[in-house]
Amino acid sequence: MSKILTVRELTDALKKTLEGAFPFVWVRGQVSNLSRPASGHMYFSLKDADAVLNCVWFKGNQRGDERFDPLTGEVFEDGPRPSLARTMQNGTEIMCAGRLNVYPPRGSYQLVVELAQDVGLGKLFMEFEELKKKLSAKGFFDSMRKRKLPYHPEKVAVITAPSGAAIQDFLRISGSRGWGAQIKIYPALVQGDLAAGELAAQMDRVNADGWADVIVLIRGGGSIEDLWAFNDETLAENIFGSRIPVIAGVGHEVDTTIADMTADVRAATPSHAAQLLWPERSMLVQSLDELEIRLAQRIEQQLGGKEHSLNTLERGLGWLSPVQRLNRIDEQFMGLTERLDRALTLKFEQAERTVQYGEERIRRAFGEEAITYQLQKIHSLENRVQWAGETLLAAAERKLDRASIMLESLDPAKPLERGYSLVQKADGSFVRSVEDVAQGEHLNVMVADGSVGVQVETVEKGSEV
Amino acid sequence: MAAKKKNFETQLKRLQTIVESLENGELALEKSVALYKEGMTLSKECRTQLENARNEIRLFTEEGEVPFEEETSAGAGEDQVK
Repeated sequence: MSKILTVRELTDALKKTLEGAFPFVWVRGQVSNLSRPASGHMYFSLKDADAVLNCVWFKGNQRGDERFDPLTGEVFEDGPRPSLARTMQNGTEIMCAGRLNVYPPRGSYQLVVELAQDVGLGKLFMEFEELKKKLSAKGFFDSMRKRKLPYHPEKVAVITAPSGAAIQDFLRISGSRGWGAQIKIYPALVQGDLAAGELAAQMDRVNADGWADVIVLIRGGGSIEDLWAFNDETLAENIFGSRIPVIAGVGHEVDTTIADMTADVRAATPSHAAQLLWPERSMLVQSLDELEIRLAQRIEQQLGGKEHSLNTLERGLGWLSPVQRLNRIDEQFMGLTERLDRALTLKFEQAERTVQYGEERIRRAFGEEAITYQLQKIHSLENRVQWAGETLLAAAERKLDRASIMLESLDPAKPLERGYSLVQKADGSFVRSVEDVAQGEHLNVMVADGSVGVQVETVEKGSEV
Repeated sequence: MAAKKKNFETQLKRLQTIVESLENGELALEKSVALYKEGMTLSKECRTQLENARNEIRLFTEEGEVPFEEETSAGAGEDQVK
């Protein structure tokens, strides 16, 4: 050991040697782990049965559709061929020309591809197609022979890697489904050369145990090489020969292996396998709810119907019951009584009204009012009579008064009171003229309170008193 | 445990039968009520079973079966096995 190198020094030395020794190289292999990020560069591995070479094909080196063979210069007469950069897939066998490049930060080397050409379908793919054709001819993939999975298996054998993501996905999904099951994991490698043998052996063991209701064969996603163990013929035969139904879920949805095709049921992924095995628990709860609701509805309906007819019957029975009958009769009786009562009252009232009317008429005819009226009339007449009488009397009186006044004025003695005198001759005749008297005659002069006897002395004519 | 679980399916089927016979037939009231009671009991039992449902997970080894521990961080999803 002449010198201890640093990592950097060794890497630099390797870089110089490698890149110097292979400035441009042709290499042939099968494409795997192909990725096309948004950058447009392509990353993949070239592989054969024993080795892997990482490759990068930068966008700038990728060609469009080719009009001629880049190696021979031969023009494609049947039109341009699509670019390999577009058509290349995992499993495609290609030839690449490029230079080797060492990448110190990762301590890795890679082929920087300048040119690539399809050299026909990959060998692995060819093997796959051959096996598929062979097994298909044997009837491995016939849908007729595929068995249905038992509904809600209680005992489930899972053949997979116990440390893998697949079993965790499977268990996580199954945890929320069904009403509880027993899951037994039969461990096996799921990639590498030993994987196919282990998987096939576990298939046999599960069948020998005879415990399981169903066999679950699962593996997570990976490259086509990673999944290659599931394209094994022996495994396919064991799946085909299994007495227990097999469900396989290998890789992602796009991956289809011989095991998938041979299994009774193909699940897209390990999670999907769990979904196919057991119904969702919430759905079970829902159907339980639904059954319960239907149960309750039905019984309520029936009880409701019975209650209704019970009520109807009760009413009918009630109609016939003696108490009800008595009540009805009572009601009738009451009704009649009331009518009778009303009728009588009516009659009484009518009669009373008639009597009242009669009374009224009688009273009007002979009643107090009538008497008063008659009395008034009488009084009135009386008054009139009285008034007339009085008037007459008054008139008579007045006449009498007048007459007596006249009479008084005619009384000869009356003027005497005022000083006049009456002169009476002896024969009783009154002296009215001087001629009635003669001298010397005796006359009686009457005054108010008596008479005076006088003798006429002279008689003179013409002189007035 | 397996017997009890088998029970679930049987009980659920029985419950379905009960509901259907109640819905289809004009049963005598006593019979209906009896079926209803049975149905409700079944439904309750099934519900309890669902609420308590757990998968029993074991790992087969050459030395015998051992309990298998599920990873608690269950968010992994589909992933590559390396």
